[in-house]
Parts: sequence; structure tokens; C-alpha cells
Amino acid sequence: MIESIPQDISIAFAPHIRKALSTQRIMLDVVLGLVPAVIVAGVCFRLHGLLLIGVSVASCMATEWACNLIRRKPNSLWDFSAVVTGAILALSLPPALPLWTAVIGAVFAIAIGKMVFGGLGANIFNPAMVGRAFLTASFGILMTTWTVPAPIDAKLPPVAPTNNIMDIRTQATPLAWSKMAMKDGNGARIYNERHPLWPGLLGEEAGSLGETGAIALLLGGLYLVVRRIINVHIPLAVLSSAFAFAAVTYVINPDKYVQPFYHLTSGALLLGAFFIATDPVTAPLTVRGQWIFGILIGGFTMLVRIVGEYPEGFMYAVLLADSVRPLIDMFVKPVPVGGVPNV
Amino acid sequence: MSFFTRDSRSFAGGVHPPEGKHLTEDRALEPGPAARELALLLSQHIGAPAQPVVKRADTVQAGQRIGECQAFIGAPVHAPVAGKVKDIALQPHPVLGRSMAIVIETQPLAPPRLCSFERPQGFDPARYAPEQICQAVRDAGIVGMGGAGFPTSVKIQPDAKTPKDTLIVNGCECEPYITCDYRVMLEWTDQVITGIQLAQRACGASKVVIAIEDNKPKAIERMNASLEKLGLGSRIGVVCVRTKYPQGGERQLIRAVLQKTVPTGGIPPAIGVVVSNVQTTAAIADAVVNGRPLTHRVVTVTGEGIPRPGNYYVAIGTPVQALIDHCGGLARDSARVVLGGPMMGLALADLSTPITKAGGAVTILTARQIAKGNSPRQTRCIRCGRCLHACPEHLSPTKIAHAVKSNLMDLAVKYHVSACIECGCCTYVCPANVDLTGYIKTGKIYLARQKKTMPA
Repeated sequence: MIESIPQDISIAFAPHIRKALSTQRIMLDVVLGLVPAVIVAGVCFRLHGLLLIGVSVASCMATEWACNLIRRKPNSLWDFSAVVTGAILALSLPPALPLWTAVIGAVFAIAIGKMVFGGLGANIFNPAMVGRAFLTASFGILMTTWTVPAPIDAKLPPVAPTNNIMDIRTQATPLAWSKMAMKDGNGARIYNERHPLWPGLLGEEAGSLGETGAIALLLGGLYLVVRRIINVHIPLAVLSSAFAFAAVTYVINPDKYVQPFYHLTSGALLLGAFFIATDPVTAPLTVRGQWIFGILIGGFTMLVRIVGEYPEGFMYAVLLADSVRPLIDMFVKPVPVGGVPNV
Repeated sequence: MSFFTRDSRSFAGGVHPPEGKHLTEDRALEPGPAARELALLLSQHIGAPAQPVVKRADTVQAGQRIGECQAFIGAPVHAPVAGKVKDIALQPHPVLGRSMAIVIETQPLAPPRLCSFERPQGFDPARYAPEQICQAVRDAGIVGMGGAGFPTSVKIQPDAKTPKDTLIVNGCECEPYITCDYRVMLEWTDQVITGIQLAQRACGASKVVIAIEDNKPKAIERMNASLEKLGLGSRIGVVCVRTKYPQGGERQLIRAVLQKTVPTGGIPPAIGVVVSNVQTTAAIADAVVNGRPLTHRVVTVTGEGIPRPGNYYVAIGTPVQALIDHCGGLARDSARVVLGGPMMGLALADLSTPITKAGGAVTILTARQIAKGNSPRQTRCIRCGRCLHACPEHLSPTKIAHAVKSNLMDLAVKYHVSACIECGCCTYVCPANVDLTGYIKTGKIYLARQKKTMPA
């Protein structure tokens, strides 16, 4: 019998055909989705912005390579997840951040945020947000210094000075501004009138590298949704809950609180809704779970923005929601089509 | 994503693999090869295996019963051709690995033939008593020919506890590449309809529908025309369901056609439904009208790895190797020989494995088909949830698979491992290339061994 086994015929469990979509392709698509945001970052913050992104990506890749070497595991750079983490981390950083700071963030993001858990798929927290949280805790001033973007300030030097932050022309971010207005009690009205519905649509506001160009982020997010790399549930849940929160405050007191659209387009909300909260590894599995997760993120973010002390809270919201995620998955499970069987 | 894909003629979940039906859909039925030796497995169905009623060196006639089964859930086995019993021994079995079989040496070598069925003039199913039909079906050894191999007589038997009101005839053939049921619907239309009438008569269903996927418009047209011609258009309906895998899974089909749900762990009769494959109904017609046992079936030999794919009328027990030789031998780049289709079929290591009553295809895939795009490497599960959305039973394949992988069988049970229909959708979509279905099947085997319903 045995002689009738042809040499090159393999056996395996069914199914014997596979859809072409791979982890690598998903990560590559996320990188492609980030391209518009990277372009806007380059236009607004010039060479230094692009350098930050490059350095962050390169450090993430190097860290992953080194960690695998230490753990005696096969190289996993080919899955491109390190590139995604590096790019998202950089896009969430202030534009004038010194390059060495970005390196520290990237190393921490990959080594502590991902590899100590066992690598891609095993991490609990979004690695990029872990890196950013570490930088925020360690370099408070550097992490809150916001450069005026180039479209506003044509005199911005081609390479932003990296060591002497006193030289940088800075500007309050829209969210810092909204925070001040809240404390004032009536500043929001002026701001609402000065800026019609969509402030930071084209990146004319101060902010992190990748969060200022709302249109670019929407384009990239749309690409991911159309390619079915992400589903619409998490972005919808994040944005709608944040919008609802902001709308309620605006309706209650339009003098004190800025318009809800304003919240949507400023800060990390768009970048985060499409690229950070949708990280499959740290998001719930079921659609219902994803809605809960998204609403948690949107709600937490707005809670920090409106009630808390910081102007922006997206990072904390994601890390908090990530820590709740295992619970969500434990309680929100799909129900079998025929109902739960009586065992 | 259930609320985006809700469709009255389908079910939630499922996948759209490349169909591959163009290879054989226009190939008319042909007689299969005349094999010198046939191995008739005694366990070709769900239930108790048959016991041999012939001895070594006995001479058998074509159609003679050679294996008998006393158990309620079971089916006899018949010799497809005249010959001599060469041996009663273990033979390769597609599911069980090795199983007892009666090996028949054909003598004289019978010329290959095609099924010849004539619908009697003025055929009236009321002339047959339901018990008579069930007995004829039982005697003919008919089992579900769509894959599972459940004894048909048990299925169509009237049962006072669960009366059957609807008979769904499954002509979906959602599995990629396979076209045997399609050709049967086109070429044996009258036989199929006759069988449907008999099955309806036996099980007492008041409503009968033939469900065909919308990628087979010719079959739908032919069925409708024949029903019209026979004056049955008002009594038997043809339902066009959406082309999606696994539309032909009986639970999914019932969902699509009747918008009813079979309880988890239950079977269709629990909600008064009987699902029968088209080729099975054709076999019922042959058995009841002509008294012929089930000894041959249509097998699609297909795939990119075979030079002359086609649909063949093959004696049950024919070794797969004989079919492959008949179709021009394995192409040089062929990489996997699958008994069945690419989604649920069983990969064969031993090409002397015989064709069974339940297996409708031999698919030969090349390395290109079995590869996963450009990146065949496996990653850890990235928890993307694609398997959950693809699962037609709304399970959590990744959770079950990883529970089994970690040997946490209680967790696998908590995630309803036994509700898995093993359709393969989860593995098909998994970007991390994790063999989810494989783990789940393994988990079911572990559980069966724990419960001692399966030898270790």
C-alpha cells in the first residue's frame, strides 16, 4: 500500500485552499493607510517630522530583531507589525521631539509593550501607546511642546532644532486651547466663531505629527475600511461616543465648551479611531465587544478632555480599554446559531 | 458583521472561495474506469459497520448483497460488478484510516456503463406505500451522498414523535470545484424528480423545495422545465439560494430556505425538516422503481493537477488511483489529492483508498492552489476576529482552537466545540494561517476519546 504514496503529495487537514490575505498583508495595508498622514506630517513639519517617523520605525524594527535574537526566536520582521508600531508611535509624537527621545519610545514600545509578552498577538496593550505613555511620563515638557505647523509659519526652519526647545515657535494645540477656554468660562464662544465647523481639516493646527490632517486620516481610514482590513465598528463607536459626549456638553454650555466637531478633528481622536483602537491584537473579538470597547475609548477620551486635568486623553483611554478588553471578551461571546445547547 | 450580510436567501457568515467549477461543469457524465479490483468498505456510512455475508473465494454477482447490517442506523453493502471475493481485510479508509472491506476481483472485466433510468409512464408515487419505499431504500443501501453518509432510510422514515413537514432537496453543491450534483441535475432531471416524489411520499412532508445556488442557472432552468412538463410545478418548488460556502450545509440551507434554525446539537427532524442531496434522491428512484441497489455514483475528478478532469459514473469501491489514471495521471506540479472538495475534503496519503457512497469528488490541487498568497508563513493569532465573522454557526473558532492547542478541553467545551460543523471557513480566512479547523477536529477527537466513544 505504502508504495502508492507519491513523493510530492502532502496531506493536511481541510480546508486545502486559503484566502490570500495574510498578517503581513494586513500590516502592509495599515502602513499604506498611514501614508496620507505621513505626507501631511512631512508638509507640516518638514524634514524633522519625516526624520522622526523614520527613526521611530527603524528603532522599532531593530528592537524587534534584537529581542528575537535574545529570545532565540525566528526573525519576525517580515510581518511588518514593527513598522506599523513605529509609524503610529511617531505620528503620535510632538513634531519637535528630539530624535533620541523617539528612539527611547520605540525601544520601550517594542521591548516592553510587545516582545516581553511573546511578540505579535500576545501583547495586552497597544505597543505604540505603551511607548508613548513611557515618554509622556519621562519627558513631560518635550512631550507637550507643540510646534507651529509650516502652512501657518512659513519661516519654520527646514530642520527643526532638536536640542534647544526654547528656539521653537510653539502654539497651543486646539485641545489645550479648549481646556483654557473651559477654565475661563467664556473663551469657547470666541473660538467657535473664529473657527467654523472643521478646524484642523488640513493640518493647520498645532498637534502631534500625525493627528493634524483630518482629511488625510479619514482617507487612510477609508482605505482600510474599503480593503476590509479593519471593520467600521470600532471607529464608529469611538467617534460617535466622543461626539455624543461633546455634543451634550456643548448643548449644556456653548460658552464654555467647544463644538463637538471640533473635538472630532483635533487631538488623536481620528488617528486613534482608525489606526490605534483598531489594532486587532488589543481589540475585542466580537462586534458587540468592539462597540463596548470603542465607546469606552471615546468616553474615556472625552472624560479626560472635558473633566480631567490634561487637554488630551486618548492614549490613556486606549490603555484603559485594552486592560478591560479580556473581560469584554470573557463576557461578550457570540451565541451559537442554534442557541446554547443544554449540556 | 451579521447585520450587514443579512440575506433572506442565505445565512450569516460563510466565505466565497474561488469556485473552480469551470473545469468540469460542461463535462457530461461519462462511464468511469473499469477497475480490476474493488474494495467495498463495510463502513461507508454513519452508524454500525456492515458485516460481510460472503466468504473469501465466493463468486458474487453484480448487485449482490455482500455486507449486511442489522443495526437501525446502518446500511448494507452491495457488489457493483460480478467477480470473486479476493479478500476480506483492512483497507485504507478516507476517514477512519483503516477499515474492514470486501475486496472483489472483477471477472470478467465488466464494460463501463452509465446509469439508465426511465421514468415510468404515468408514474404515481401513491402506488408505493411509505413502508415499502423505506424498505427498498434500506435494502438498496442508500446513504446520504452529499458527504455525511447518513442512512437515508432512517432519515425519510415517518416518525410519530417528530413529523416531517418539509423536504429540502439539496442541489447547492457549495463546495468549490465539485460538479457531480450539477451534472446529475442536468442529465438525470426526471430521475431526481421521481426520487423526490418517492422521498416525499415516504416521509410524508407536505412541502418540497429544491434548493439550488444562483451560480447554476442552467440547473434551475432544467429543474423548472421538467417539473412543468411533469405537471408538478405547483407542488415542488425550486428555490434559488445565494452562492456562498457552506450554503449546502444542511443547517445553513434550512436557515436560508425556511428562515428556521436547527437547535445546536439537534438534527433537522427536530424542527420537522428533512434535507436530502439530489444524487441521493436519484438513487432512491433507482432503488424503488428498478429495485437496483446503490453500487455506483457520480464522482467529479477535478482540479488543476489532473490533465482530463470530468464527471464519471463510477463503481463504488474503485480505487482513487484508477480514477486518476483514467483522467491522465497526476500532473507534475500536483501537490495534494483530496477526496471531496478543497474546503472539507480529506487529503489522501494512500491513493488505493476506494471511492465510497458518500464521497463525490477527487480534487487534485497543485502547490499554487494550496499556497496562501505570497506569504504562507504562520504567525500567532492576531485576534482579528475574521474567523468569528466567517463562522456560519457563530462560534469562536480561535478560542476553541487555542483551547485545544493548550489542552484545555473544558474551555473548548465552554466555547461549544461540538457545535462546529467543520466547514473550514475559519481556516480559510485566517490571515495568521492558523489551522483552526484542524485543531477543532482534533479537540472533538480528544473529547470522543474521553467519553470512550472512540478508541484511543
